[in-house]
Amino acid sequence: MNVKNIFNPRNILILIGVGIALAIPLMFNASQYVMLLMTTVLLYAILASAWNIIGGMAGQLDLAAAAYLGLGAFTTGTLLIRWNITPWVGMFLGGLVATALAMLIGFPLFGFKVKELWYALSSSALVVVLQSLFMMWNEVGGPTEKYLPIGTSPWYSLRFNNYMPYYYIMLIILVVVLLVNRWIRYSKLGYSLMALGEDEDAVEVLGVNSQSSKLKALAIYAFICGVVGGIFASIYGYVHPAFFDTSMSMEITILGIVGGMGFIYGPALAAIIMVSFREILRASLGSQLAGLYLAVYAIILIVVALYQPRGIAPLVERGLKKAQTYFVELTRGRRADIKSH
Amino acid sequence: MDVEPILKVTNLTKKFGNLVAVNRASFEVNHGEIVGLIGPNGAGKTTLFNAISGLYRPEEGTIFFKGMNITNWLPHKICKLGMSRTFQVTRAFTHMTVEDTVRVGAYNRFNEKNVQDKVDQVIKVCDLVDIRKRVCEDLGLASLRKVELARALATEPVMLLLDEAGAGLNATELAAFMDLIKKLNQESQITFCVVEHVMQMVMGLCQQIVVLDSGEIIASGTPNQISNNVRVIEAYLGKRAVHARNQ
Repeated sequence: MNVKNIFNPRNILILIGVGIALAIPLMFNASQYVMLLMTTVLLYAILASAWNIIGGMAGQLDLAAAAYLGLGAFTTGTLLIRWNITPWVGMFLGGLVATALAMLIGFPLFGFKVKELWYALSSSALVVVLQSLFMMWNEVGGPTEKYLPIGTSPWYSLRFNNYMPYYYIMLIILVVVLLVNRWIRYSKLGYSLMALGEDEDAVEVLGVNSQSSKLKALAIYAFICGVVGGIFASIYGYVHPAFFDTSMSMEITILGIVGGMGFIYGPALAAIIMVSFREILRASLGSQLAGLYLAVYAIILIVVALYQPRGIAPLVERGLKKAQTYFVELTRGRRADIKSH
Repeated sequence: MDVEPILKVTNLTKKFGNLVAVNRASFEVNHGEIVGLIGPNGAGKTTLFNAISGLYRPEEGTIFFKGMNITNWLPHKICKLGMSRTFQVTRAFTHMTVEDTVRVGAYNRFNEKNVQDKVDQVIKVCDLVDIRKRVCEDLGLASLRKVELARALATEPVMLLLDEAGAGLNATELAAFMDLIKKLNQESQITFCVVEHVMQMVMGLCQQIVVLDSGEIIASGTPNQISNNVRVIEAYLGKRAVHARNQ
């Protein structure tokens, strides 16, 4: 690999991004508000990137992110509250619980090839059903918050008195999820999913088992949501059935679509832009217009659907390509200069 | 083994509600043959293809492929056994490149290590080298037909079903496409079953022709036998044409 390949605009951008992400807590003197905001942005970036696997690649309009997130939160929370099991273990068990439920639901849905609107409706129903169930299940959920104990060691109970550790944990998970995205996208599963998102019959006659491919995608997505749910519970310090939040699921889907279906970094990029924007709106407009951000989201979604139906990632791609040609010309020009001297 | 037909369809019936799209159809395809399936619009040709390739479940009848009863098998399993197909209205993966489209098929028999070699080979055979990095939505019909053939070919089939692969092509494109199919048939020993309206293609390619009308098979034989068959002329041109011919 030569120098030109390593220092192309894409890698430079990635480096800058990682650098900024690492430095943010130091830049703002670790203001707790900014830290919580940035952690929330990362949370959405992770969930939207996970959604990209089932929604962006496989084209299943999933609206159940908060269901899997909530399951992960309740598993982690309950294990810590009842048996003092550390969230470091709890979150992975939470991921497994979320995956198990996802398989139970995905098997018949994908078997009967439920798609588009019908899949969206069935998956969003899951969030509502779980919320009602956990509201009634007093041992685990119930109408009052169940608080997570701080215990003796903040690292054991994952309960810190500031947001910085959560930020870095989320950052690590985001990097892992993006790498998983990349790995899937350029593997047999990724190519099959991308094609399944376009035409299921046409892919099946090419030897692809649509049901099992989609189940794999759903499992990975649900697992990530479940794991993040565990950290979500730790950040807030309690578990409550309100974690099964329909509008959050909706938001993640919107971020995935606006970011660019099937583009690895698209949903994360959309999350960074739109969730920051949302929080600024919320801070400046205050409580009198609490739901306004969803209206703004809707407007952005309509604009994107009209002018950039494949999301913002293709736009970035085009820009990068231009930069790349410019860069190559620049280095060539320089070499030509050296030769002529 | 080779003496037995590679595909044997017996009494196949497919209904949609009260409409009998295919009615007790029986026919055979021998190994290495190119068989044409023709018939007027709405005769049930595509329905028959869909039933054979596993996209539809037939109400009655059996389908044997390579000596195995594949009736009611799922499409991906039938593909694993060695049969793939193309579609009448091209069903390209619009946002994927030609190369990635072919790769989806190539994964059928190849793993991450050697899939690229298969992709390269198929792209070369199907003459897609120049457009391999292009996205399918930017391609014209002739290229799309080739891409569909290529992705099916990448699954390494022993038998291919082509659903009106020649429709919409001009004379040059059609000739090139026919040459490609002939080449694949002779060099790679792939058996073809083609649904076709373009008579030039049917007569030029097929050793056997099966004629379908209103869901029933009304004739089968060599191109010569078929073009003189009274029932076929009747189905295509009406009874008066038969009278005119007899006078």
